Amino acid sequence: MVIEATEEFSFMTVFFKMSVSIAFIRPFARVLVPFTLNRKRSVFCSLILQRYMSSKIPPVPCPNKESTSPEQLELDGWKITMKSSVQEGVSTVLSTQDEDPLVATRELIEMWRLLGREVPEHISDEELKTIMECVSKSSKKKYLKFLYVKEKMKKAKQIKKEMKAAAKEKAKEDQLLETKENKQQNFLFLRLWDRNMDIAMGWKGVQAMQFGQPLVFDMAYDNYMKPKELRNTVSQLLESEGQNRRDVDPFHIHFCNLKTDGPLYGELIKRYGEKWDKLLLTATEKSHIDLFPKDSIVYLTADSPNVMTTFKHDKIYIVGAFVDKNIQPGISLAKAKRLNLATECFPLDKYLQWDTGTKNLTLDQVIRILLCLKNNGSWEEALKFVPRRKHTGYLEIPQYSQEFVNRVKKSKIIKPFQKGSLNIYTQKR
Amino acid sequence: MTFCFTGIRSFPKLWKSNPYLGLGPGHSYNSLFLKDCYGIRNQQKLFSLQTASPQNTKAINLPIVKARYHRKGSGTISSEFPHLFAAGAAKKRSQMNPQSKDHVSPPVSNIIQLPTKPLNSEQWDKLKEDFKGKANFENWIISQMARHNSSVDVAKSLLAWVATKNNGIVSYNLLVKYLYLCVFHKQTSEVFDVYEIMKARYKSLESGANTLLIRGLIHSDRWREALVLLEDIKKVMTPSKKNYNDCIQGALLHQDVNIAWNLYEDLLSHDLIPMMETLKAFFDLGKHIKDDQYSNKLLDILLYLRNNQLYPGESFAHSIKTWFESVPGEQWKGQFTTIQKSGQCLGCGKTIESIHLSPEEYEFLKRKVLRDVIDGGDQYRKTTPQELKRFQNFVKYCPPFDIVIDGLNVAKMFPKVRESQVLLGVVSQLAKQNLHVLVLGRKHMLNSRARWKKDEMEEVQKLASCFFADNISEDDPFLLYATLHSGHHCKFITKDLLRDHKACLPDAKTQRLFFKWQQGHQLAITSRFPGSKITFQHILSYDTVVQTTGDSWHIPYDEDLVERYSYEVPTKWLCLHRKT
Repeated sequence: MVIEATEEFSFMTVFFKMSVSIAFIRPFARVLVPFTLNRKRSVFCSLILQRYMSSKIPPVPCPNKESTSPEQLELDGWKITMKSSVQEGVSTVLSTQDEDPLVATRELIEMWRLLGREVPEHISDEELKTIMECVSKSSKKKYLKFLYVKEKMKKAKQIKKEMKAAAKEKAKEDQLLETKENKQQNFLFLRLWDRNMDIAMGWKGVQAMQFGQPLVFDMAYDNYMKPKELRNTVSQLLESEGQNRRDVDPFHIHFCNLKTDGPLYGELIKRYGEKWDKLLLTATEKSHIDLFPKDSIVYLTADSPNVMTTFKHDKIYIVGAFVDKNIQPGISLAKAKRLNLATECFPLDKYLQWDTGTKNLTLDQVIRILLCLKNNGSWEEALKFVPRRKHTGYLEIPQYSQEFVNRVKKSKIIKPFQKGSLNIYTQKR
Repeated sequence: MTFCFTGIRSFPKLWKSNPYLGLGPGHSYNSLFLKDCYGIRNQQKLFSLQTASPQNTKAINLPIVKARYHRKGSGTISSEFPHLFAAGAAKKRSQMNPQSKDHVSPPVSNIIQLPTKPLNSEQWDKLKEDFKGKANFENWIISQMARHNSSVDVAKSLLAWVATKNNGIVSYNLLVKYLYLCVFHKQTSEVFDVYEIMKARYKSLESGANTLLIRGLIHSDRWREALVLLEDIKKVMTPSKKNYNDCIQGALLHQDVNIAWNLYEDLLSHDLIPMMETLKAFFDLGKHIKDDQYSNKLLDILLYLRNNQLYPGESFAHSIKTWFESVPGEQWKGQFTTIQKSGQCLGCGKTIESIHLSPEEYEFLKRKVLRDVIDGGDQYRKTTPQELKRFQNFVKYCPPFDIVIDGLNVAKMFPKVRESQVLLGVVSQLAKQNLHVLVLGRKHMLNSRARWKKDEMEEVQKLASCFFADNISEDDPFLLYATLHSGHHCKFITKDLLRDHKACLPDAKTQRLFFKWQQGHQLAITSRFPGSKITFQHILSYDTVVQTTGDSWHIPYDEDLVERYSYEVPTKWLCLHRKT
């Protein structure tokens, strides 16, 4: 390593010396650089020489005069056509329009698109206003990227739809030829599966409303969330409600602390539409501690020090309706602490070899796990709803035996150390 | 002549011997040079790593009885270990336990060799046939050319080829990349041409092209047009500090000082932090301007550095020095020095400003820590109101402490030794010096278990005051508050850099205040072996900040070859004083 370093130093000195004498070789520079070298090297060499020369001798209009060849003359031809051709985009420019920041922004985005940046092709005035309201440059870029991805997805969907329609049309034509020969058949049922399913699920839901185990979504986090997180929360709530509806033995879902003038309520109404009033769940402005006895409540939070061992059918589990994108730890634990409630977290570390990602699961994953546990599923069964990317697999040794192994290991290590360190102590005194 | 030849011949060697050059695209001669130095520096680091590692591994592998032989040596190790907040210390610490070597992926081999001289259409056509990739060939090749800084002529021949194929139209994307190459190679006339083309073709430009045009124009006589472009950018978004830097440099280059200062004011009014190059440019020009108003503005820049705790780089420090020495009639003398532990400048012997906060600042910080770090709008997040009350009463009725210990942090110092034993060792050594010690911990430390012996904890409680927080509460905020409450003389012991708590503070000013206080009050244990006498890292007694006493200036600066983390401070100073 020493040799290498000195070599480099010596190289540096050579380089400096060389630069002194470089004035002599300037005319030969091109010739000296061996063209047989591979591309990178030769580029690099000529680059340094070129730079050196251009910095040393300022009035050199063209650094490599010797390369003036007939084709050099053609090189500037394209400029004339470029200059003479008409402006792209809006040809007539009003000076008042130029002042308008909205128009300027639109033009900027258009130019960015030409540059191949991730910006949407079409943009509505409303979205443009949102962009103008973004505080920082990076937030603008983020929002533009969001719109870009959204537009792309929409386009892809549209294409898929058209392809499907075309395929359907074709299938229909084929079928038409066949059905002509088909005769009347005997069926037991009319094809009304979906409606029957809905009715059955409704029936089950009503039963759950009467006799089901309560499951509470605590909706008191709306002031901790940004609009985007709020929207995500509502999506997850919709997903979990759907999951619950389809289950054999659904929970009786409560939306507690749901303020009717809050943003969550507005978003839920918007997403559910007319169905909101016919949902088989309890939405209330009251808190969960007013509805249920305090000692039967268990607040589920990943920050909890207590690990859930079994699913208890007489407890009321509370899940915080909270998507936490900018990681503010301990908010739900603080809520439980304030009301003096019992807390629990899923035994993820006990059963899974955790890899990446937070231990916070989405609401629909939580409800799937709870439903599975409720229907007498084991933990292994239930925890298959944890995203596969977050863990590398199930642990083979249950935690208690592993703890035991650790303890044995530790005691073996510690014992000689205790002796040694005690020795030190006695010696010092 | 032959010598020169061999000199050039040895270029390829550089590629082979230095792995760093192969990795990134060698941007320019300058950056190549820097990278080269970087390579050398890294090798030095490897040396230090090698010399340090044997002791390190011994410390881990050897049983304690053997480690006793090293006890004498441990003192010297700790003294050469840089201060917790000294520039480069974190880098060194990370090298002490080399766990993950960041592996740099090898450069992607190009499918096509970039042409080194202009090609004609047939050659481009052929090259395009050879290209097999997803991307558009023209876009891809010009990006590669921009990355490897090909000569302008090659790029021009590409554009000419594209134009002939495409009815004389060259897309905006290609134009911008070409502009980049022109600006990079300082081909001003080409920049003008591209500027004309863009003006003719497009109604408005986006920020990237504007930035490039500004950079290209400032060196020419048409530099004032760069200011127009800057106004264009302002219409939609705030220009970057680089845009301002370029414009200011352009104005200074053409001796238009007023415009430069106006731009500087504008830059500050947008809450942008100016680039050090900008400030350096002002100082560099100052040598030629003998004007009181200009000098005062330069001194204002130094005060700006002071207020925002910014440190100039090495070359900037040189500029400052030459400017001061060029001021007529004042006879400044500058030298590069370091500061002694006692806080005296090695150059002039003057004492540097103390690290202690003023009483108002101290009160302010105390209030902020209580309000934002411990309370934080929701007392339940880090503790409970009951516990906070209990703690505040506890602190109130105890006399001020001399040292506050983060029990868990200290006890976990040596992973192979029982926690309570380490804690007792530290506490008893401190108690022997008649210091009033507070140990902060959590309640689980009291429950007798294998690692927390009950009798040892009782011993600790006899020697020191103790406060045990709930197991789910955070103990660091209590540590901060207890130390702040006890007063200036009180120090705290933890190896934690407390960055998460600093982040809880609302604004940069308070965070800087906190950092200053932390530098002056945090003791970090440097002992490497359990049982040895504990040694602390010395506390800085002086504040590392740009400062003046009227006839002297002391300016800390960053060395070019030292990587400084944001929570570290420079160790090198520029000392300027007037000859009397």
